[in-house]
Amino acid sequence: MAIKLDYVIRETGSNLARNITITIASILTVMVSLFLVGFSLMVSQGVRNATERWQEGVEFVVFMNADATEEQISSVRADLESSPEVQRVTFVDKSEAYEEFKRLFSDSPELVDSVTPEILPSSFRVEPVTKDADVVQALGNQFQKRPGVLKVVFASDTIRLIQQLSSRLTIGMAVVAVILLGAALLLILNTIRMAMFARRREIEVQKLVGATNWFIRVPFMVEGLVQGIVGAAMAIVMLVVFRPFFESWLPEDEFPLFSALTTSSVEAFWIYVVIGVVGCLIGTIGAGVAVTRFLDV
Amino acid sequence: MIRLEHVTKTYKGDVVALRDATLEIEKGEFVFLVGASGSGKSTFIRLLNREEVPDAGRIFVAGKDIGALSPWKVPFLRRNIGCVFQDFKLLSNKTVFENVAFALEVIGRPRQVIRTQVPAILELVGLGDKASRFPHELSGGEQQRVSIARAFVNRPLVLLADEPTGNLDPATSVGIMRLLDRINKTGTTVVMATHDRGIVDTMRRRVIELDRGSIVRDQARGVYE
Repeated sequence: MAIKLDYVIRETGSNLARNITITIASILTVMVSLFLVGFSLMVSQGVRNATERWQEGVEFVVFMNADATEEQISSVRADLESSPEVQRVTFVDKSEAYEEFKRLFSDSPELVDSVTPEILPSSFRVEPVTKDADVVQALGNQFQKRPGVLKVVFASDTIRLIQQLSSRLTIGMAVVAVILLGAALLLILNTIRMAMFARRREIEVQKLVGATNWFIRVPFMVEGLVQGIVGAAMAIVMLVVFRPFFESWLPEDEFPLFSALTTSSVEAFWIYVVIGVVGCLIGTIGAGVAVTRFLDV
Repeated sequence: MIRLEHVTKTYKGDVVALRDATLEIEKGEFVFLVGASGSGKSTFIRLLNREEVPDAGRIFVAGKDIGALSPWKVPFLRRNIGCVFQDFKLLSNKTVFENVAFALEVIGRPRQVIRTQVPAILELVGLGDKASRFPHELSGGEQQRVSIARAFVNRPLVLLADEPTGNLDPATSVGIMRLLDRINKTGTTVVMATHDRGIVDTMRRRVIELDRGSIVRDQARGVYE
């Protein structure tokens, strides 16, 4: 016996309408919690993108001129590597710089097209032994006037602050999101329990006349799924609306080359996928638990 | 059609609802279950419908050992068993037609079948002109007719009735009994638990008397006591 689609739609619809206030509450909770999940994913991805070269320990970057000669580069490298105040040096050549550029600006193909590896500067990412601002400043300035050096850019306090804040923000939002997801789960569970209570006589008669357990269960399962999906869809819409706002977040001068706190479309897409999947899971799990616990079939 | 072999059912607190019951009911029989309240009549009915499972012994309905039936097969057993209750168990937000159609809908009958069978069964129970009424607009006797229509629309092999006239006045009860008798004459086995002395004494059918869970009398063409 196939369960008829129009039956499921009718029953699910009337269940949702019957408990409209609780249904709205659980959808909104799903929405807010998933929005927070998406928001924290976007912020942390954006910060990661924008501060990529300022990984932990990298205090300044020496950018070479695009037309710097091999000798100039290797002379700077030799001095950096031999300096007792430098712990580690990472060289980023033109093609690596180009790869990074392509990835960060994958949303703007025309910008990527206008750039070739040749015009991008190679650079040294320097981790000094000490984090003492004065020492780092003095060390970096030694290279400022060297032949072939375009510019020395220091990891400013702002960048460090943003990295720190974003990691704390991400953790904080993740905690809140998990709590809200738990609340959403319980609310969905409760709406379905109430729907089942409201229909207990119908369920009793259904059992009496030989309806299969799945026939009785499916409308309630679909109800939970609908709540999860609608909440997730609303969260995604909110994120789509808010995304441009993230992208012009950080002051331009702190990030001379890759200025904006951006996520690429591909990254945003995957964040939406994660949110959609989590929404479906929350709905299905809530409904599944409710159906097995409260529907004595 | 129905066979019980040494069936015992005990509820929590050592209440013995049915003790070592053995009996056989043939296809097409009409059986009254009588006995005081708490004598085990309802448990008997619930065991046949597999709302309860026996603690010991075996119950066969239509050749199947229903105690050994896996839970997912229970709905298919119930499609062969119609049930009628003292409180009708009608859905108040559905019309007479919808209440009866519900029984066919939930077992996946096509709409075409529902459209032809429901009016036919309502005609049979004498409610052909009340299809679009709601249960609260009907008298008790009419409501019980709707519930019988719902139980019988699927043409079950067995009709179980737990005090179907318990809420009805004697004149109305007679009408309900005529209806059950007609259903029985189509070959459906009817098992009816009742307190109604007048009905049992008038109908003169097989009477099984229960006393504190034990079968104390099984009499063909019997009387209430």
